[in-house]
Amino acid sequence: MTSIRRELLVWLLLGIALAVAVAAIGTYWRARDEANALFDYQLKEMAASLTDAPFAAVPAGAGAIGPGSDAMVVQIWDRNGVQLFLSQPRRVLPQNAQLGFSTVATDNGPWRVFSTLAGAQVVQIAQPMSARRELAASMALRTIVPLLAVLPFLAVLIWFTIARGLKPLDRVAAAVARRSPAQLDPLPDSDLPHEVQPLVGALNDLLSRLRHTLDAQRAFVADAAHELRTPLTAVHLQAQLAERATTDVERAAALTELKGGLERATRLVEQLLTLAREEPGVSALAPSTVDLSVSAREVIADLAPLAGAKGIDLGLSATPSSTVSGDPDALRTLISNLVDNAIRYTPAGGRVDVALAEDARAVVLTVRDSGPGIPPEDRERVFDRFYRGGGAGAIRGSGLGLAIVKQIAERHGAGVELGPGVDGRGLGVTVRFATRDTRITPRGSHAAMAGSKP
Amino acid sequence: MLLAEDDAMIGASVRRGLSQDGFTVDWVEDGRAAELALADKVHDAVLLDLGLPRKSGLEVLSSMRRGGDTRPVLIMTARDAIADRVAGLDAGADDYVVKPFDLTELAARLRALSRRRAGRADPILSYGVLELDPASHQARVRGTSVSLSAREFALLAALLARPGAVLSRSQLEGRLYGWSDPVESNAVEVHIHALRKKLGADLIRNVRGVGWMVAKPDAGQGTS
Repeated sequence: MTSIRRELLVWLLLGIALAVAVAAIGTYWRARDEANALFDYQLKEMAASLTDAPFAAVPAGAGAIGPGSDAMVVQIWDRNGVQLFLSQPRRVLPQNAQLGFSTVATDNGPWRVFSTLAGAQVVQIAQPMSARRELAASMALRTIVPLLAVLPFLAVLIWFTIARGLKPLDRVAAAVARRSPAQLDPLPDSDLPHEVQPLVGALNDLLSRLRHTLDAQRAFVADAAHELRTPLTAVHLQAQLAERATTDVERAAALTELKGGLERATRLVEQLLTLAREEPGVSALAPSTVDLSVSAREVIADLAPLAGAKGIDLGLSATPSSTVSGDPDALRTLISNLVDNAIRYTPAGGRVDVALAEDARAVVLTVRDSGPGIPPEDRERVFDRFYRGGGAGAIRGSGLGLAIVKQIAERHGAGVELGPGVDGRGLGVTVRFATRDTRITPRGSHAAMAGSKP
Repeated sequence: MLLAEDDAMIGASVRRGLSQDGFTVDWVEDGRAAELALADKVHDAVLLDLGLPRKSGLEVLSSMRRGGDTRPVLIMTARDAIADRVAGLDAGADDYVVKPFDLTELAARLRALSRRRAGRADPILSYGVLELDPASHQARVRGTSVSLSAREFALLAALLARPGAVLSRSQLEGRLYGWSDPVESNAVEVHIHALRKKLGADLIRNVRGVGWMVAKPDAGQGTS
């Protein structure tokens, strides 16, 4: 698991260490430049003092200046190049000197050499460069040691500062953890650093959407419970009447009514289940290709006896093979609900037409009846769950048929419209399935054009 | 009584059940029809569903009470939230049942309502030597129990509701038949005859050309 705290600590410390290293290197370079200037000056001064003295006095002076490996080496030659003096015979240095400063590489590393002409003699003073490097290094070290010593304290400080900075996140987490599932009011977002605000904002947004969904669900359950009571009340009363019946004729009549009541209750429960199944996001089934003309024929075959019993002329009027992409069971339910509704509301001897049509952009399913129709002012509301038209008279549906149709249509990206029915009377329901995505038409260019439409 | 219920199955069952209990029920299916029926003032009590189309039960109830109609109203509701019941009672209902309800209980509550309306606490209707138990449809005359049919009960209950008063044939017919029932001619006479046979001829007196009344044979002509 990644930790913001650990990450920040590591990177901050690495950054500080890098800064310290850069400072050390800078100090080292500057110190070396200064040491060079200082030691060069020293060499020059020394040479000057040697030129004044008789050369006999040199050995003692040279020896006093710098014994050991980093000591200076003094050489003196006469005009003919004969070496008159060598302070440290062990040192191997150039026998020939050019006047002024020069840097000479030797087996012991580079040496700084200063030669000068003093009367008839050449005086040369040499010093190893390592001495200067050591001085510079020690200066650099003196600069960074205190910084390095502070580093652990800095680490601890960073650690706690980050912890303090992350406190608001802990508070938000605690506030979320304390909540009961029903507590969906927004989290408090005052006093929050603006880095945490977006998170809380997003959480509050989710909470409010969740609350709306839950409210809708709760309202639906309340409505459903209320709607279930009606057929159950009927069944209850019918059962009581059957119980009270004293003659066989009475009992048989009561039982027939009881059966009717049970059928109605069963139908309502089935429709509620369908509605729950078609709830957006519930079905995870991959869409398959469905031929609506086949589904429509099946539905009509199923419902033909019902239509026949009412003397209704039920038929499929146009049957081009019309494929859409979707859930075959749901689409069948959609057609079945429309046809069933039409039969239910159409008076005996009426007519119900199912038609399919197809154009470049859509497959259009139409179910028309010759029933009483729905007045335009009610057409918006009939898709609401449990809404029943006021003028429906003796025909009492569950009030769910069109709500189910609408839900299935929406899930398939289809639009539902209400219009006039057979010969301008009654009700006509039109469902338009847009066919831009999955359809493959033989004319490739046409399909590409249709596919490119937004 | 008037039944206002929009669900066909429930309406039919309640009507049948209550008539078996000796009530005569007129049934309407929406709020407007209920108001029209109430305007006639022929019903003794109203059984009102709250979820009526065209005009809700609550609206019907409120306008009834505003208009000074004090007849007992029992509401039937599928909404069992306390707020819904309170709203119904506060709008002027006398009692309520929550769907699904029991026919026996519904009948008992209706009997209680009519008892309260008549200002009685004793469920037994009595007059002189005659007692009538509306719950069991049993009459008692001088200590002997007699079972009555639903129609006989309805007639006797109507007569006992106003003891000593003379009720006309059409008044009694109104007690026996709802709007949709076919009225049989001579039905009142037939049932009165049966009652006299069961209870004794002196208890129900015919006032010729006017109608019938219950009498107190022990107290002679006296009415209380």
